[in-house]
Order: sequence, then C-alpha cells, then structure tokens
Amino acid sequence: MLLFGLDKSLSSEEGFAQVKECLTSPLAKFVIWGLLSALLYHLVAGVRHLIMDAGVGETLEGGKLGSKIVLVVSAIVIVLLGVWIW
Amino acid sequence: MVTNVTNLSRSGLYDWMAQRVSAVVLAAYVLFLLGYILLNPGMGYAEWHGLFSNNAMRIFSLLTLVALGAHAWVGMWTISTDYLTPTALGKWATVVRFLFQAACGIAMFVFFVWGVLILWGF
Repeated sequence: MLLFGLDKSLSSEEGFAQVKECLTSPLAKFVIWGLLSALLYHLVAGVRHLIMDAGVGETLEGGKLGSKIVLVVSAIVIVLLGVWIW
Repeated sequence: MVTNVTNLSRSGLYDWMAQRVSAVVLAAYVLFLLGYILLNPGMGYAEWHGLFSNNAMRIFSLLTLVALGAHAWVGMWTISTDYLTPTALGKWATVVRFLFQAACGIAMFVFFVWGVLILWGF
C-alpha cells in the first residue's frame, strides 16, 4: 500500500493531489496510522535487539526492563504519530 | 551450524549479520523519510518529485529495497522454521512451510521489481 502511494504520488501532479486528497479521509488516516504504528514498533523493538547484541541489558532483569522501555517508547511514538496524522 | 537449504546464506551467522545490517539501513531510511516529511509540512509535488529524482536518494531507495528483501526473507524464514513445524502441523508441515516461503519469496521479488519500476519509471 505504501509502495502504491509512492507510485501514485510520483506518477504525476494529479496523482500526488489524489494521494493527498485520499489521506484526508478518516479511514485512510486510520489505516496509515495502523501501518506506520506496526513499522515503528518493529523499529523500536529492533533497536533494542541491536542494543542487546552490543551486550547491554542481557540479564533477566535487563531483559524485562528493556521490554518495558520498548513498550513505553513505542506507545509514546505511536501517540505522537497519531497526533501528527490528525 | 545451520544447514537448512532454505535460509538465505546457508550460514546462520551470516544471516544474523545480514539481518542486522539490513535493519540499520531500513531504520535509517524510515527515519530519514519521516523526518523529511515532518520538516517539510505542506510539501508539493515538485519538491516530492525532486527528492526522488535525486541520484543519492535513488541509491538510498534501491539499497533499502535490497535490504527489505533480505531482512524480510531472514525474518520470514525464522518464523516459518520456528512455527510451521511437524510438531505444530503434522506430516504436511514441510509442504506448508515450503509454500509459505515460496509465497514470501515471490512477494519480496514483486516488491523489489515494483520498487525499481517506481524509482526509474517516473
């Protein structure tokens, strides 16, 4: 869907306007929010993996704390994303 | 040592590395693009078109497409070999897993070719 949007928005001036127009609808905003939320959660959790690969927070307590941090940071980012979209 | 024929590189260590390197590329691309859109509110077609006409951006986008394919393959391979197993699915597990992996592979190939067409087709 994101590729389709990119394709359409780059194809022509009208295509760009169409994508922009479509993104004003509440349903489209919700879908984009959902897609980007999943992507950003994956990104935040992925960064945690890289940090743990570097040897930080590899203990049981560290792992528990890290997963909580991931959830909190993701929630904040996802809320901010929603604010930005609407 | 991983000797499964369907993993990306026939080496678990290399797959592990490919997954991480591609992850960094993908993260950089996502953050760059989101940041760019955030910092340019009310962007018009000319600016958007200009961004993707830039050779540096095309290289970055193509790199991201390659990284996406590799990252998705390692990820989907890991999931399918973890969960689509004889323990979970019985004797048809290998067929189901192979078909799932084939569908993933085709999807990644389609995304890659489509992405290239978008980048160089406009």
